[in-house]
Formats: sequence, C-alpha cells, structure tokens
Amino acid sequence: MSQREPRSEPHVLDQPWRVWATIAVMGTVLTGILLGALIIPIVQGRGAGLDAFTAICRALGLIPGSPAQPQPTDRTPPTPVSQVVWTPDVLQILARADVERGRAKVQEVCVACHGESGVSSSPDYPHLAGQSGAAIYKQLFDYRTGSRTHPLMTGIAQALDEPVIADVAAYYAGQPQRNPNPVTLADAPAGIVQLVELGDPKRNIPPCAACHRRGAGGPIETPVLAEQQAEYIARQLRLYASGERRNDVYARMRTIASKLTPGEIDALAAYYRAGFR
Amino acid sequence: MRNAERLCLAHFWVAFAAFLFAAMLGTWQMWVRSPLGAHIGTPGQYFMSVTAHGVSMAYVLTTFFIMGFGYFVAVTSLDRPLPGKPWAWAAFWLGLLGVVLAVVAILSGRASVLFTFYPPLTGSAWFYIGLVLVVVASWVWCVLMIVAMAGWKRDNPGRPVPLAMFGTVANALMWLWTTIGLAVELLFQVIPAALGLVQTVDVGLARTLFSWTLHGIVYFWLIPAYIAFYTMAPRAAGGRLYSDTMGRLTFILFLIYSLPVGLHHLLMDPQHGNATKFVQAVLTAFVSVPTLLTIFTITASFEIAGRLRGGRGVFGWIAALPWQRPMVLATGLAFVMLGLGGFGGIVNMGYGMNAMVHNTAWVTAHFHLIFGGSVGIMYFAIAYEIWPRLTGREHGSLAPLRLQLWMWFWGMLIMTLPWHWVGLQGQWRRVANFNYADPIIAGWGPWVLVSLGGGIILLLSALLFVRNLFILHRGPALVAARPLYALAVDPPQRVPAALNGFGLWNVLLLAIIVLVYGFPIAQFLIEPSPGAIVHRVQ
Repeated sequence: MSQREPRSEPHVLDQPWRVWATIAVMGTVLTGILLGALIIPIVQGRGAGLDAFTAICRALGLIPGSPAQPQPTDRTPPTPVSQVVWTPDVLQILARADVERGRAKVQEVCVACHGESGVSSSPDYPHLAGQSGAAIYKQLFDYRTGSRTHPLMTGIAQALDEPVIADVAAYYAGQPQRNPNPVTLADAPAGIVQLVELGDPKRNIPPCAACHRRGAGGPIETPVLAEQQAEYIARQLRLYASGERRNDVYARMRTIASKLTPGEIDALAAYYRAGFR
Repeated sequence: MRNAERLCLAHFWVAFAAFLFAAMLGTWQMWVRSPLGAHIGTPGQYFMSVTAHGVSMAYVLTTFFIMGFGYFVAVTSLDRPLPGKPWAWAAFWLGLLGVVLAVVAILSGRASVLFTFYPPLTGSAWFYIGLVLVVVASWVWCVLMIVAMAGWKRDNPGRPVPLAMFGTVANALMWLWTTIGLAVELLFQVIPAALGLVQTVDVGLARTLFSWTLHGIVYFWLIPAYIAFYTMAPRAAGGRLYSDTMGRLTFILFLIYSLPVGLHHLLMDPQHGNATKFVQAVLTAFVSVPTLLTIFTITASFEIAGRLRGGRGVFGWIAALPWQRPMVLATGLAFVMLGLGGFGGIVNMGYGMNAMVHNTAWVTAHFHLIFGGSVGIMYFAIAYEIWPRLTGREHGSLAPLRLQLWMWFWGMLIMTLPWHWVGLQGQWRRVANFNYADPIIAGWGPWVLVSLGGGIILLLSALLFVRNLFILHRGPALVAARPLYALAVDPPQRVPAALNGFGLWNVLLLAIIVLVYGFPIAQFLIEPSPGAIVHRVQ
C-alpha cells in the first residue's frame, strides 16, 4: 500500500529533524551551562563582593566556597588539635601490633599506675582493661606530640616510638574487663540514664551512648566507657569544659562538657563506674 | 515460538519469586520499625533484610521482568523469531547465577550495605560479583534487542518500527549507557576494596559514578510501564493510540534525559560545585516533559475509547471506559500514583526543599510510591495481559485480578502517604529502629502503624498476584487471543529517520554527557581527594 504512495525524498523528511533536534537539545544544555557557570555566579558574586573570575571558579568547584557568600575574613591556617591521622598506614601499624612485646613494655613501664591487667591502682588513673586499642593509641600519641599534657604521661609517651605505642594499646585492649557491677546502674537517676541514652536535644547534647558504647560506631578513637574510675571521668569532663584539655577533634567533648552541670558531671562519672555487656 | 514463551516465563517467574520474597521482607521491616515491633530483631538483621529487599526489588525483579518483557515484545511486535535465542538462555542462567551469589552473600550477613552500596562500607566481594553478573546478563539482552530491531529494519526498509519495539530498544540503549557508571564503580573501586586489594576508596568519585546510573536505572524500570501505556492500554480500553509520534518522542526524551541528570541525587554532596549541580538540575526539569506528553496522549487515547463506547459530555467518557479490564484499571490507578509521586519528585528536585527532606523518610516513601506504586502496578497489568499468550490459557475470572490491583493501590497509598508525613516531621531514613519512649518520636508512632497496615495490605496483594498467575497455568484454554498492541489514530506510513532509530540521539547524548559529566568526573582525576578508609561489614 505504502509503495504506491509517492514517497517524500528522505532528506526532506529527515534533515529538519536532525537539525532542529540538535539545536533544541544542545541549546538547552548550553543555556543551562551559560546560566549556571557564568551568569548566576557573576550576579551572586557581585552581591557577595567577589570578582567575576573568583565567583565562576567557586561555582565550578575549582576553589572552595560558594559564589553567593562573602570571602571568609580569617585566613589563619587551622591548628589541628591532634596529630593522629587514621590513614591506612596507621591502621596497619595497629593491626600488626605485637601483644607479647606490649606485655613486656607494660610490665616495664605502665604497670605501676595502670596495673598489669589494666586495672589501675588509684582513682586518678584510668582503667585500661578492654579499652579500644585505637583510643589508647590516640591518647599516647597525643601525649607524645604534646596535644595532651600530663606531668607523668608526657615524658613516658615521648620515650615510646610508634610501633611500641601500638603494642601497648593492643595488649591492654586484649585484657578482659571485670564483671559488670549492676548496683551502680540501678542507682543511676532517671535524668542521667536519659542523658546517656537520648542526650538532651534542648541543649544540643547528643547521647553519650551514641559514641561511647562498645561497637556504637562513633569516631574510631572514641574510648569505650564502662567500669571506669569515676574520679578520672569527672576530672576529664571538667578539663574539657574549661578548655584545659583540648585534644578532642572538632572540639566535640569540649562542646558537650561545657553544657553539663557540675552535678551531671559527677552523676555521669558515677554511672560509668558500672560495667556493660 | 514455544521456546520463546518458555524463555519469557522463566524470566518472569524469577522476577516474581524475588518480588514475593522481597514483599515479605518489606512487611517485616515496616513491623520492626513500628511501635509494635520495636524490640524485635537486631540492627544487623534489619540492615540485612533491607539489603535483600532492595536488591530483590530493584535489581532482580526489574531486570528479569524487563528482559522477559523485551523478549516478548521483540517476538510479538516484530512478528518474527528472536535472534540469538541460545544467547538469551545463556544470559538467563548467568543472571540467575549472579542472583544466587548475591543472595547467599547477603543472607550470610556479610553484605549488609544496602542496594546502593554506600562505599567506603564494603561487603563480601561475592555480593558485588553476583550483581555484576546480573548486569552482564542484561547487556546480552540489550544487544539482542538492538539486533532484533536492526534485522527487522533491514527486511522492512522505510517502514516505521512498531512503537513497542521502539520503546524497548530505547530502554536497552539507555541501560547500556547508564550501567557504565555502576560498572566502573564496582569493577574499579568497590570490588578491589572488597577483595582487600586497596585500603581506601574515593567516596566522592564513587558517589558520582553511582549517580551516573541512579536516574537512568529508574527509567529502566519505568519504560516497560510506559510501553504498556502507549501500546497496550489504548487497545485494552477499546480505542486507538492518539499519537504514535508522541510515543516515539517520549521514549527518545527518556533516553537523552535519563543519564545527564544524576547529580540531582548529589545536591547535598560537597564534592561538586554549584554550577555543575545547577546544569543537571535544569536538565532534570526536562524529565517531566515525557511524562506530561504521556499523560496527555494516554488520556486523549482513553477519551477516544470512551466516546467510541458511547460516553458523552465532558466527563461521561470516563465512566464509559471498560474499567473491569485489568490493563485499563491499572493504567488509571498508576496515573493517580504517578500524579502524587510526581509532585513529591518536584519537591526533591528543588535544591532548597531537597535540603529539608534529603535524609528523611520522605525520600523512601517517594520512591516506594512512584516505583512500587505506579511501575509495580503496571508490571502486574502487563503480566495479566500477556500471561494468557505465554501459557495458552485464559483467566477464569477477572475479579481476583481487579481485587489484587485495588489492594495494591490502596495498600501503597496507606503505606506511603503517612510515611511522607513522618518524613516531613524529620523521621530519618536508613535507621534500624526508633526509640518510641522519646516524646518527639512517640508522635510518629500512630502514623508508622498506619503505614504498617498499608504494608500488610501490600503483602496480601503480592500473595494474591502470584496466586492469580499460578492458577492461570491450569485455567481454561485460550480460544482466541485478542490483538495486543493498539493502532494509532493515524498509523504512520513513513516516519523521519530520527524517529525510527537512535543514531542521532546517541550522538547527542554523548555530547551532553561530555558537557555535563566530563568535568565533574575529571576533577577527581586532576586532583584526587583523600581516600576514605574501607570499612568492611563483618
């Protein structure tokens, strides 16, 4: 049937489609690029006091910042609060740590205060039994680099090199924690349990358990809080609150601790004397 | 032909087995997230279940259904045997092997990374290798579809390719383009990490590559529904297709605007500049065009059918339509869900509004409504429509079919509308459970319970769907198959080459990709960002 009808010449039917489709499709894309990469950044940049070139570079992501915001005035380089960086190399050092070498070093150096099995002899010193290896490594490294200071620990840590720090961390991480102590948990006031489990959204305090419970999935260097010396925890929270201790990345603990009342600090410290499984 | 029917049925049954399995998991997930099941199951079990649900629904159901439907369309619309049938069977078994590998890895608990992977989270390498095999199987299908259409065109010079096949090949081409991102991410980033060959992953690059696939994959799922809208629904309604050209344009627009819009999934991501996000947001606005064309054309086609059936007045034709037919009913219900879901999609598309809903349950609810609702119900209607031809048997009664479609429709609305609402109240997504003792979260409880009710209706509907297909195998013999594909009001005799093939559109698509994805990807190679340490799921 169609053979008997006069056929249009193919190019008469096909060519306009080819031309107009190309113009329409490419025109759309190029208009988008013209608007997004040139006109909008230039207009926005003018409002933010940026020259056209900077605004365009910002819009393209070539230099940091938004084309719609003024330049940050503070150009001082940031000072990291800790020198520890969790690179694959550092994780390899932790993974290759030698527990037996760690035990030898512990018996030589650490045993006097933290105990051979990580149970400290004084309320001033933290228990280390079953603590996360990454947490112990981070604190020892911070003592070594001066990010955290302590009359005793600074000197001790400076005498240890990095693989030995990892060995000691692995040794204490492998020590079993003591039995849970359910009595102190039952004594905890409801408000403190709520702070641990839910935080206080009104004061922008996140729940402690979001990071400090074993396996909680917070930052890798977060210490596990369980069966800890209450006096030690209370003192650390006060040091964070006053800003004397400042090796917490992004000032997380300084921010949280400064919002806690003295009563809450003591009650939380008492809470974490208990063991959890 | 017998063998082609077995081929289609094999694909469909794998698809629907995965669907039923995933529907059960989905209902369980709704339950443990509700106040009723708040203390049941561990987060580990929940994320394992979510991964299995997502993989089954988004990769297995869709890929196998689309492959089976494509083979069916190639044989029936071109009216000639399928070329390369041994290849099709080989692809089927390869894909099935991939599904088994992936499912075993998930159920062993070592691949709970959700179906969108989220590197640097890394699961068992077998999980990813299994999914790669599924994708490779689908590539074989794509090539067979292209070969089938090319062979038909060679033997029928100058004649327009039937619209159903044109849409199928558009989908195959689109899928070939769009799976490049996923394949590169899996083969060069995620699988080496899963095998322990590398210790870090450039997450920005991985997310960018996944975004390359992420919108295209949605259209891969959607296009079979649109093929049914254009070619089956007008015929089932007893009318004609209002415009064949609109159909061709729609499939072409889906092809060229599927891929270069993926950055709208990364509007909140820091690794791209405002300008690149803006350009793709502009192109995203154009994806509404093929949907609006379709709603206009199919509504016009239905109006023709309604008036032919004696409908009068402005709305009288709607009442005159044969709503008792599953394909007509499903099209109507799909349009309602498409309207609601499309509105939600426009919210997600806007930068400012997306910022508010991005990490909330709103997004989960949105894609359940648009994919599970509109697309899912059309998959059912397609299965009901073509199953008699595949089995040579007829549905004993259409009532259980209609009941199943209505249950799916109401179940989906009851589940997703409250889900949207709690999303607006800030309920976050990708979390295993909620503490309903918290006064803020307690307010969500009743809405989540209503959602659970919708989920239970959906599970019942899924069971009824499989039952309806199952008993058809023993139904009365099919006496005479009615024609499947609608004629256009003005059947095309000769269409421009641009509307009868994809050469021009492939070139244009390549040019758009280079313009809008070239720089966003090249920046990772010019200045590599620090890699994130691989986090292995135990």
